Amino acid sequence: MKVSTQRRFIRGVSYAILILWSLTLVFPMYWVLITSFKNPVDMSIKATYLPFLDFEPGLHAWRYLFVERLGWFMQPFSNSMIVAFVSSSIALVVGSMAGYALARFDFNGKNNSIVLGFMAQRMFPGALFILAFLVMFRELRLLDTKTALVIVYAAGAIPFIVWVMRDFFEGLPVEIEESALIDGANRLVVIFRIAMPLAAPGLVAVFVLSLIGAWNEYIVALTLTFRDSITIPLFMGMQVSQTGYTEWWNMSAISLVSVIPVVTAGMALEKYITSGLTFGALKG
Amino acid sequence: MATAQRSVPPARGVLQFSIHDRLWKWLLLLPSLLMTTVLFIAPVVWTLYAAFTDLHLFRVGVETEWVGLYNFQKLLGNSSFWRTARNTVVFMLGVVPMQFLIGMVLAVCLDNVTRGLKLFRTWFLMPLMVSPVVVAFVIGRMLFQEDIGPINSLIRWLGFEGIPWLTHPNWAMFTIMVIDVWQWSSFMILMLMAGLQGVPYDLREAASIDGASFWQTFFRITLPLVLPIAATALLIRIIDAFKVVDIIMVLTGGGPGQATESVTLAIYRAGVKGGDLAFGSSQAYFLLLVMVVFGGAFLALTRRTMSQTKD
Repeated sequence: MKVSTQRRFIRGVSYAILILWSLTLVFPMYWVLITSFKNPVDMSIKATYLPFLDFEPGLHAWRYLFVERLGWFMQPFSNSMIVAFVSSSIALVVGSMAGYALARFDFNGKNNSIVLGFMAQRMFPGALFILAFLVMFRELRLLDTKTALVIVYAAGAIPFIVWVMRDFFEGLPVEIEESALIDGANRLVVIFRIAMPLAAPGLVAVFVLSLIGAWNEYIVALTLTFRDSITIPLFMGMQVSQTGYTEWWNMSAISLVSVIPVVTAGMALEKYITSGLTFGALKG
Repeated sequence: MATAQRSVPPARGVLQFSIHDRLWKWLLLLPSLLMTTVLFIAPVVWTLYAAFTDLHLFRVGVETEWVGLYNFQKLLGNSSFWRTARNTVVFMLGVVPMQFLIGMVLAVCLDNVTRGLKLFRTWFLMPLMVSPVVVAFVIGRMLFQEDIGPINSLIRWLGFEGIPWLTHPNWAMFTIMVIDVWQWSSFMILMLMAGLQGVPYDLREAASIDGASFWQTFFRITLPLVLPIAATALLIRIIDAFKVVDIIMVLTGGGPGQATESVTLAIYRAGVKGGDLAFGSSQAYFLLLVMVVFGGAFLALTRRTMSQTKD
């Protein structure tokens, strides 16, 4: 009896804390949502909290974004889309091939060292690379191009993909591949028609995580692009820091448009993302 | 994923000794090796080289000279650099323990509930998807806005004076920490929750039936068992905290004065904006050194703690 009372109490406290943290996470999102519907007058004197009660919501920020200044906003948006999808796709193909090779072939017993070598790269601070990238891409005449960002982001995502996918492929039964090989199938067919489809959950996880990484990356984009190829975070950063007085409602609308795609994708694929993110720990 | 299979060496394809497969394995690995060599090893080596020269971005046609340790001497005697180093360490020491604490509390809470678990878990993932630039803008510029922001409005309504969140040096650092904690505590929650799931429920059940209190069970059984995962999560967060730059750049630009300037921001300023590649490179290597020292110390500490708890 005593135990169950104590347990009920602990559960109650747990729910209270969970709800409190949920609200902490909700509030900024709520605020940015209502701000995107505010008019300048609603923010000139005091804070307003509730649409219809506190202030009269209007669509002018959304009209500004999608009608009046569509081109201004669409350029960084499409840059981000292209860079994120192309770099993640390249990293996925290249990285998972290496992951497969490290799972199924013997590299003179050095497989673990090779994987560790890939992973060590993630420890290094970005500051160590940006100056070299700047000089490198200047020599290649690739500054302010999407190509430069695609190359850097793809290379940046590869170590993680190799690491996760190698373990994923090791977890798949080798017998199916063996029998296909005995039946005379080409190794490439085995990889792309048998192994890759079986590894789909892992591939989805690492692809979405690379996508999010590329979509949100800031410092490399800041170093390598400045006008034609700027991405969304850079565009937002410019808007925030250039104007001391910021047009909150427009910025809010831009924020929402830029986070909704990734947040929706990430939360829809929650199971895969969580397993991808906590992968290192579970392996322990 | 594949946890159980890991210790056992995988059965390998029967045809691995054929000449074709020897070719295949290298063909499959080569693109990754090539890309990471060109974009990882080359820059790291080049930056090391640059740190010992007088390389400058905007100076062309002049012979680059070898200057030995000059850049590092300049660095050590530079009070503004020490300020940024101090800021970075303060930031790390501020956010990582806080994230760990929040992560641990919420992971334990999640472990205690069943209804709504999936909902909470999914929602807690949200901050990790949002761009740090957006988080910095929404929290730092809007919620903590000093005149009409909701937080200062609340403080004034309670009868206190509004807080200079971004214009006072110490408060500016605090605000930046709050933003990082808001965003990255979720990572700790996920990691620690994964760890807790590995602790057999029976073990805790048995302890509580034997009359152990909630806290006893937690400190004696749960905590030691999640320690390895906690150590991994902490190490990842320590490394990431040392790299902080984007939220600072968007929010304060390192100000007021130099109060929130991180090392990475200083490197960007010196190397990219100022063109002093040599000085920027030496700072980057100094940052790496600091990270290695802190990371190494942390690893040594956890290893000692873990061997003690085993006894």
